[in-house]
Amino acid sequence: MSGLNIENVSPQKFKLGNTANMAMMAMAGLGFALLVLGFIVNHERAWHAYLVSFFYFTCMAMGGLFFTAIQHVASAGWSVNVRRLAEALASFIPFVFVLGLPIVIFAGKDLYLWLNADEVAKDAILQGKAAYLNKTFFIIRFAIFAGAWILFSKKIVGFSLSQDNDGKDSWTVCALKWSVAFLLVFALSFSFFSVDFLMSLEPHWFSTIFGVYCFAGLFQSSLALLTLMALYVVQNGLAKGLVTIEHVHDLGKLTKGFTVFWAYIAFSQFMLIWYANLPEETIFYIDRSHGGWLYISLALLVFRFIVPFLALLPRWAKRTPAHLTAVCILILVMEYVDIYWLVYPNYSHEYVAFSWMEIGAFVGFLGVFGIIVTRFLGQHNLIPIKDPRREESIHHHVTY
Amino acid sequence: MAKKRLSGVVGFWSDDHKIVEAAHKMREAGYKHFDAITPFPVHGMEDAIGIKRSSIPYVTFIAGVMGGSLGLLLEYWTSAVSWALNVGGKPYFSLPAFIPVTFELTILFAALSSVGAMFFLNKLPQVDPPIIDPDLTCSKFALWIPDTEPGYSPEKIEAFLKQIGAEEVRRVVEF
Repeated sequence: MSGLNIENVSPQKFKLGNTANMAMMAMAGLGFALLVLGFIVNHERAWHAYLVSFFYFTCMAMGGLFFTAIQHVASAGWSVNVRRLAEALASFIPFVFVLGLPIVIFAGKDLYLWLNADEVAKDAILQGKAAYLNKTFFIIRFAIFAGAWILFSKKIVGFSLSQDNDGKDSWTVCALKWSVAFLLVFALSFSFFSVDFLMSLEPHWFSTIFGVYCFAGLFQSSLALLTLMALYVVQNGLAKGLVTIEHVHDLGKLTKGFTVFWAYIAFSQFMLIWYANLPEETIFYIDRSHGGWLYISLALLVFRFIVPFLALLPRWAKRTPAHLTAVCILILVMEYVDIYWLVYPNYSHEYVAFSWMEIGAFVGFLGVFGIIVTRFLGQHNLIPIKDPRREESIHHHVTY
Repeated sequence: MAKKRLSGVVGFWSDDHKIVEAAHKMREAGYKHFDAITPFPVHGMEDAIGIKRSSIPYVTFIAGVMGGSLGLLLEYWTSAVSWALNVGGKPYFSLPAFIPVTFELTILFAALSSVGAMFFLNKLPQVDPPIIDPDLTCSKFALWIPDTEPGYSPEKIEAFLKQIGAEEVRRVVEF
């Protein structure tokens, strides 16, 4: 409020307890050990489990960088004090490259029908798509996308960190320019990335809105994660007077907004395919309306849209930590279910396969992701302490 | 035009922080019907003078639900009851096809009702309220206590306003 002065408030250092650190290392170790076992038992299924978790954490990391970039482009003042949390998510981006390489190089026909030379030889449609869907171009595309993301994350986050040291306003201008470029690159690269990794699992099927669908899930869930991180900072008093329930409230609003956006895009994709009723398009939903998959499809509608939307609607919902935490966790779980729902019918048409292999892959990735993100937060200030708009963020206040 | 009617006491400040503090004191002293008049939105003022949350969100929600239901009902009645038409072999009542109109009517009802409720609650279009002081739109901040205040006593209020730091106190009578 009015009495606060920028000079007399500073964030505490984020420090993770040894137990938490060990727990994450154990999760990473145990998860990847289970995954290795999975590859020995059933490598086809293990690749699917790996892909789901890989895509999930790619979304979280990219969501962090996207959030940072739009705040720069909008010259937003309110979000300055939570921006570093988003930048921490983006620190995982180099690992997107490292952990994605095995998929593009080794997964082959275990995941992608179009990498099975025998199938392509007897399928005219796949031959027609071979100019795009072939291994060399797949690897090149992935390298370009991941390389560009690493470059932009190093630049945009780097400007912010440099500003912490010398306090020069010019870094903000640099960040703005790079962020504009990043948004253009991101829109294209993430669309192609999701087409390459997820849509091509069923290479005969196509949906022009697929990239937007994946983006909608990405942004809804990464905003939920950011809200949880901001809540953690508020509740542990790590940045008293700097990050407050006001910031959490606005992050909650954005989460609610993009919950509606996800539903809008998901329904747009469904309705056009349902209406036109073309066999090559409906195959996607036919696969997902038989066996146990129908329940997963309906669960997405209920728990990814209806429940979070109504639960985030009242004002108090976004200012009550326990309630908000529960809703954000639900959204994060549903993001996993969504990606799982996109990937797994490719592996098992008839039944919903979920057991230790999928859990192992997720826990392993979660461990690595947690280690990277908390290490970043431990190494740097919890908020951008010399940002020219920091005072606006301190006084941020959500009116009725 | 209705007759202008204005009677009360007004205290002036030239600093937005000080007027928020003064408004807090005013409320603690038990004043209920007073208002703040400032040239720009002052942070914390709604809390200081105890303005309750607007009821517009409830209007929006109820109107949205009504709009959605009516939209769905309209589509059901026109395409499945009154003039059942086979479109592409799909069922007469096809929910996916009806969602866009339902959605649009939800938005239309919710938006128009919100604007309507806002006008009603703001007493718009009352565009020529009595002018207390022209400087209140550019450089001065005021607390305004109308004569509807319970136990209204101009002398007491004038003394209280001076006590909480008003730079200038004026009695306004205008009919």
